[in-house]
Amino acid sequence: MKPEDVKVCVIRIEGTNCEDEMAGAFEAVGAQAEKVHLKQLIKQAPAGLRRDLEDYDVLAFPGGFSAGDYVRAGAIFAARIKAGMGSEVRRFVEDGKPVLGVCNGFQILVELGLLPAFEGTMSDVPAAALYTNDSGRFECRPTVLRNDSRGKCIFASSIPEKKLLTIPSAHAEGKLLSMDPDFVQKLEDNDQIVFRYVCPDGSPARYPWNPNGSQSDIAGICNPAGNVMGMMPHPERVMTRFTHPDWTRGYISEEGDGRVVFESVMRHLEKR
Amino acid sequence: MSGLMVKRDVPFPLYDVGILSATDEQLEQVSADMSLALSLEEMKTVRDYFRKEGRNPTDVELQSLGQAWSEHCCYKSSKPILKEFVFGIDRDDVLSRGDAGVMVFDDDYGYALRIESHNHPSAIEPYGGAATGIGGILRDVVCMGAQPIGLADPLCFGPIDHKGELPPGTKHPRYLVSGVVSGIRDYGNRVGIPTITGGFFFDEKYTGNCLVNVACLGIVKRADLAKNYAGGPGEVMILIGGRTGRDGIHGVNFASADLTATSDEDSRGAVQLGDPITKEPVMHACFEVNAKHLITGMKDLGGGGLSCVVGEMALDAGCGADVDLEKVPLKESGLAPWEIWVSESQERMMCTCKPENVQAVLEIFEMWDVLATPIAKTTDLKRTRLFWDGAPIFDMDLEFLTGGPVYNRPYVLPEVSTREKERFPELPSDDKVILSLLSDFNVASKEWAIRQYDHEVRAGTAIHPMVGEMNRTGPGDASVLLPVPGRLKGLAAAIGCNPWFTEADPYNGGMSCIDETCRNLVAVGARPNAFTDCLNFGNPEKPERLGEFREAVRGIGEAARELGIPIPSGNVSLYNEAPGGKHILPTPMILGCGLVDDVRKAVTADFKKAGSVLLLVGSTKDEMGASLLFRRFGGEQGAVPAVDIPSLKRKMDGLLKAMDERLVLSCHDCSDGGLAIAVAEMCVSGGVGAELDLSGIDLPCLQKKLYSESNGRWVVEVDGKDVTRFSEIMGGDAVPIGITKGDSLRIKDNGTAVQVEDMRKAWSSPIWDVMGGAAE
Repeated sequence: MKPEDVKVCVIRIEGTNCEDEMAGAFEAVGAQAEKVHLKQLIKQAPAGLRRDLEDYDVLAFPGGFSAGDYVRAGAIFAARIKAGMGSEVRRFVEDGKPVLGVCNGFQILVELGLLPAFEGTMSDVPAAALYTNDSGRFECRPTVLRNDSRGKCIFASSIPEKKLLTIPSAHAEGKLLSMDPDFVQKLEDNDQIVFRYVCPDGSPARYPWNPNGSQSDIAGICNPAGNVMGMMPHPERVMTRFTHPDWTRGYISEEGDGRVVFESVMRHLEKR
Repeated sequence: MSGLMVKRDVPFPLYDVGILSATDEQLEQVSADMSLALSLEEMKTVRDYFRKEGRNPTDVELQSLGQAWSEHCCYKSSKPILKEFVFGIDRDDVLSRGDAGVMVFDDDYGYALRIESHNHPSAIEPYGGAATGIGGILRDVVCMGAQPIGLADPLCFGPIDHKGELPPGTKHPRYLVSGVVSGIRDYGNRVGIPTITGGFFFDEKYTGNCLVNVACLGIVKRADLAKNYAGGPGEVMILIGGRTGRDGIHGVNFASADLTATSDEDSRGAVQLGDPITKEPVMHACFEVNAKHLITGMKDLGGGGLSCVVGEMALDAGCGADVDLEKVPLKESGLAPWEIWVSESQERMMCTCKPENVQAVLEIFEMWDVLATPIAKTTDLKRTRLFWDGAPIFDMDLEFLTGGPVYNRPYVLPEVSTREKERFPELPSDDKVILSLLSDFNVASKEWAIRQYDHEVRAGTAIHPMVGEMNRTGPGDASVLLPVPGRLKGLAAAIGCNPWFTEADPYNGGMSCIDETCRNLVAVGARPNAFTDCLNFGNPEKPERLGEFREAVRGIGEAARELGIPIPSGNVSLYNEAPGGKHILPTPMILGCGLVDDVRKAVTADFKKAGSVLLLVGSTKDEMGASLLFRRFGGEQGAVPAVDIPSLKRKMDGLLKAMDERLVLSCHDCSDGGLAIAVAEMCVSGGVGAELDLSGIDLPCLQKKLYSESNGRWVVEVDGKDVTRFSEIMGGDAVPIGITKGDSLRIKDNGTAVQVEDMRKAWSSPIWDVMGGAAE
């Protein structure tokens, strides 16, 4: 598939607010990205505006505060998707098409049961949740991520193993927790842990380098098939070096550290 | 209620108010009973008008006048002074002076800027007050057709560690700070606009009346720049967004009077409720109808609600309007017509369009699940007429209604602080002074607040509010945005304000605010391009307060005019007085915007390495008046720093040229605490010490060299190999003051040494310690 043929559906509802930069990130690596309101996908829009999920090659859930996050982060958006287009989303994932969720998008994927999805494509009830940060506060700060994927995740497929990336975080609820005592081990065994927070020298993260207290410093995970990934930090915010927090202290490349996440999925699709 | 009010025989609450034959006493009584806040003279003018009309007014009409003629809406005390000094600084890159100012950004885009106050609501209900402040300023930018791209929130409070009694009816500063920051965080973050800069100013004088100023920047394709008024008669007015309720009734009147001990109980209804999740789709839908050129104008509903927006949109187009008031969607039933007409319920906008486009406009709002209701038509009669189910309830001449009174109130010029009367304080050793100044709440790290605000959403933040090593950052001077994805042109924003200077010497204080704003912008490599100002002052009916206002505005206006920098938007907030008549520090808050041609050449304040040469740009004078040193250690009087615009211009040009040639490694302006604190902050953010030798500064007293807050100065770090070229560009304006070196700040003149880590601790912890939840 040629990059310019890749069609990305950047899905939004009221309160989604990172759709412009999410669409921009995919466009920056050559794809066509369209911001699509949920209503357009579930036949609640005028005829000319209706869209079919199956016409797209990538589905992206951007950050924000969908529906205000008033119940639990991502819960309302997830419920509306399950009710309105649950089977279409399931088919999309089962077709092996890439699905990305960033920040609130990650929270939605967990609420939907698309992550961690230990059994099946989409669990009926969420198997994990993103809890309030240990600090109790919204934290907008730089974070350093290590690529811990051993090769399964599409979104890390072009990133060298153990490579460090500076990708900023901005959330109040990012602490990945599960009732399952073997949660981390299962993720590890299945090669589902994609990104971990670390200190800039690569050593295990302490606050504030792990900004939320997430178990085992997990910042992003994928499903067992590797085509659905959610992460709290925002790769779409660092497509260029000049939105990094410390670029005036020196840099090698004008490319931002987030770019490789989007390039990974494009290279994967090129091979299909 | 006075016996003059006669219920009209209609199936809804409507009163005729018998003022035609009312006595002076009765007129005053009507104004008080109806909370109109109109003076006797104003009531007499109203009576004369209705005598000519040959009938008594309805309660809706009187309420409408109370709104339109409030200080908040018609600037009746401030307008003559603004006209004299700040209006009319023209330049051909001013694209609009509408609800927000709009300036040329590049050939294709304009940028919008606006600041306003939300002081009184925030003093009563800090969370809701601040949140709705953000909502309001966003709408001002949206109705220019501009996508908001950055928020800035300068805030003033009493000391957060205030101990002992508070004035009656006053809330503790710590509570107010916590509520206001949460309000800004929850609204700004939810609506997805980065909060990129701001400021905290702490002083006892703000204890009874905090200031919450909110500013917003936007970006708009020049072809899509919207108007804030109708296109002509025969158009339809469509009310967009939230429903109308009883929240926010008489907000403008509340904003146009001093706070009292019982403001909390009396005026809680004047505080509106915000809803960012309604706002977000409202913005999207407004941009869509505007970009498709389906509408002729749009305007937000702010102070005065419908009563102001309908008249202004019609009159500015030379029209009038007929309104079917019963069509306004309500939050609850049973609102009287006057309440609907003046309610300031949030998240509402009005747009005008040609009748043939109504359907297309409504469909777009429907797609976004945003309520949109045609409620009025523009007419070729310059009158506003209101109907309730067809029955006339309001019929007034628009020019009379929106004209409002103008006052040339008496003022006295303030006595200013002088060098002759200066008393220099006893000081401990300089290492202790430096640590003490760094830990002053006005200097100390604001990270506690900054990191609760998403300052990166929209992925356009190039220079962040905190700079330096990641997670060991120090203070920046200005933030820089990349407004147009894919382009490297930057838009910088910085706040400049020194209320202490302004109190001690309003004229020089006003000028200093402009100087500081310019310094902050230039420090990151931005050429100052436009200002927007929020003038927070006390009760203009007190001649001393009005004198301060006049002198400060004169200073701002003269400085901006000489710089040739326009002020395309602004806001005045008077009556900032605490219960018992204690006035605030006079606070002219300036937001400056600057352009960065190539963001790759932008500069930050953190020292970049050891072994660089440090230079001080600008001359240090014996100007200790109202300095942080004096405030902290009990100095008295002293000359407030003056401003020399020709020299400022020359230094700005030089620095920008040096930055363009990439000669500047880091740059920081000298403000609170003077040269010493500027260097200390650069050490903290860069994680490198410095060795200073200040013998090159032409001033006899070392402490004055260190702590004078003379304007027009920057500390600059330059690589040794570039010093010759830098000095060539700067001429005599730059003097070497030392090098970066080691892990402490050393002052060779008297052997002072302070560890960088000790300075970091002194600077980092004070606000965390009080606000709680400090990082480990």
